[in-house]
Amino acid sequence: MKICALIRMVPDLVEELEIDENGTEIYPSMYIANERDEQAVEEAIILKEKHGGTVEVVGIADDEVSTEIDEPLAMAIAKGADKAMKVNLSRPTYKRAELAKALAEFLKEREYDLILTGIQAIDGFAGMLGPMLATYMGLPYIGNVVYAELKDDHLLVRKELEGGVIGEYKVKLPAVIGIVSAEKPPRFVPFAKLRQAMKSAEIEEFDLDVPEIEGLEVERYYEPPKPEIVLIEGEPEEVAEKLIEVMKEIGVL
Amino acid sequence: MKDVMVVADVMENEIQEITFEMLGKAKELAQETGGSVVTVLIGNKLDGLVSNLGASDTVIYVEDEKLENFTPEFYRRVLSKVIEKVNPKIIMVGNTAFGTDLAGLVAAELDIPMVTSCMNLALRDGDILATSMAYGGKVLVDLVAKERGMFVINRGSFSSDAGKVEGSPNVEKLSPADLGVSLEDSIEFVGYIKPEVEDVDISKAEIVVAVGRGIGDESNIELAEELAEVLGGVVAGSRPVIDQGWLPRTRQVGRSGKTVAGKLYLALGISGATEHVEGVKAKNVIAVNTDPSAPIFRISRVGAVVDVLELLPVLIDKISEAKSG
Repeated sequence: MKICALIRMVPDLVEELEIDENGTEIYPSMYIANERDEQAVEEAIILKEKHGGTVEVVGIADDEVSTEIDEPLAMAIAKGADKAMKVNLSRPTYKRAELAKALAEFLKEREYDLILTGIQAIDGFAGMLGPMLATYMGLPYIGNVVYAELKDDHLLVRKELEGGVIGEYKVKLPAVIGIVSAEKPPRFVPFAKLRQAMKSAEIEEFDLDVPEIEGLEVERYYEPPKPEIVLIEGEPEEVAEKLIEVMKEIGVL
Repeated sequence: MKDVMVVADVMENEIQEITFEMLGKAKELAQETGGSVVTVLIGNKLDGLVSNLGASDTVIYVEDEKLENFTPEFYRRVLSKVIEKVNPKIIMVGNTAFGTDLAGLVAAELDIPMVTSCMNLALRDGDILATSMAYGGKVLVDLVAKERGMFVINRGSFSSDAGKVEGSPNVEKLSPADLGVSLEDSIEFVGYIKPEVEDVDISKAEIVVAVGRGIGDESNIELAEELAEVLGGVVAGSRPVIDQGWLPRTRQVGRSGKTVAGKLYLALGISGATEHVEGVKAKNVIAVNTDPSAPIFRISRVGAVVDVLELLPVLIDKISEAKSG
């Protein structure tokens, strides 16, 4: 099985997100690999271990993250991926439909049996990559997947529905799958091994043109209203005292 | 192009609450567009559900045995044809495991602008203004969809009161064949796996001590367990903690996990993403986080900005004292 996993970079929400005065641009201070994409990489490697085959990771980068993305790509190699590629987008885009269209031809040429992508990215609000990519590639898609296994002529997947209920589905390959969580927690990679991969991994680079799709524009970015509660601050002792008072009020103490 | 379409969210032959929330908003929007509210119901043997959709002017019900359970590909084929037939201005689907598959597939196929995580919709000069909750709830984005759009609506964005109306809307019952759709050769539903029987049912607990990414390390889960013990509660977690394998899946709070509804939900180091807070219906929420802008504070009665790991040992001691004294 020839498997592909996509990696996107997203703003690190632990850091400040700056919005310009007009609300038309947003400036993250740090980027990290999208958590759900890391789960997709993990699931790809688990599938390779179970059934054999190869895993290729494709990092999606615009100018802002073109160096930062090398680390998660090297990390994927350290975890067991066979090949890392980087696609440099001709311009950044928040529209998933544009991104999906840009990627569709590139991925089609490589004739993957399975393309895994994280179910969501925290910087997403316009469209969704997985289902849109599948549509432009003419492939079936199923998302919210937490488990996959190759059986005879199909992939058996488990899709997380609501309230802890799981749906099992048979998926004919080739297909695009949206991963929420891999079936096991992401494996640990010692720093030395990552550093080794950073040095030795060969990342093949490609330039991709991002097409324009009209019909949707951001008008402004802004911060949501502040919460109406007063936040308790101070030393742990003080905070603990105050929380205990509240717990007494509520009647749990 | 005036109609407002709601795609009914049905699981195991039950209409999900989000459908009524969307219907209430759809009625309001349709008054402005001068169009009608059209609900799309896809499934099998669902005739009995139509009267619950009284807030709709028309229900288009597509019935087939193969549509009894959601499969993304068959539902996509059906919904695309229905949209082509009705040509609505606004299409609303729920931000659920059902809606997030379907919306992207159909929007891409029909070239319809699409906005995810919507918490509000309004009309302006023939365009649609959508507000999306992005960046884990830290930034709101206003978007303008020209003429038409597909909107994935967050739960709890609109009240379900206006949408939960009994009635007898016009019903147009169709088969896949009527729409020229074939239900062959694709993703096939096999069955449901119900949640395993758990050691502790967090949805029934009065006091839930929940930990998120801020707990830092697996070894710190012990602190939460100790706190839960002195409080007489149970320990739960948000997705990142569960994904790490630090707590079993049965302890997950949120859209795909459990809903907690007791007296107290103590959120420790949980940022409060939409998917998480959907599962928090406890009467009182106390949140502790180092980030004063964490969205979890928006649903909290009391919030404290402090490092969970510094607070916990002190809090445990003081509660033990209070209890013994």
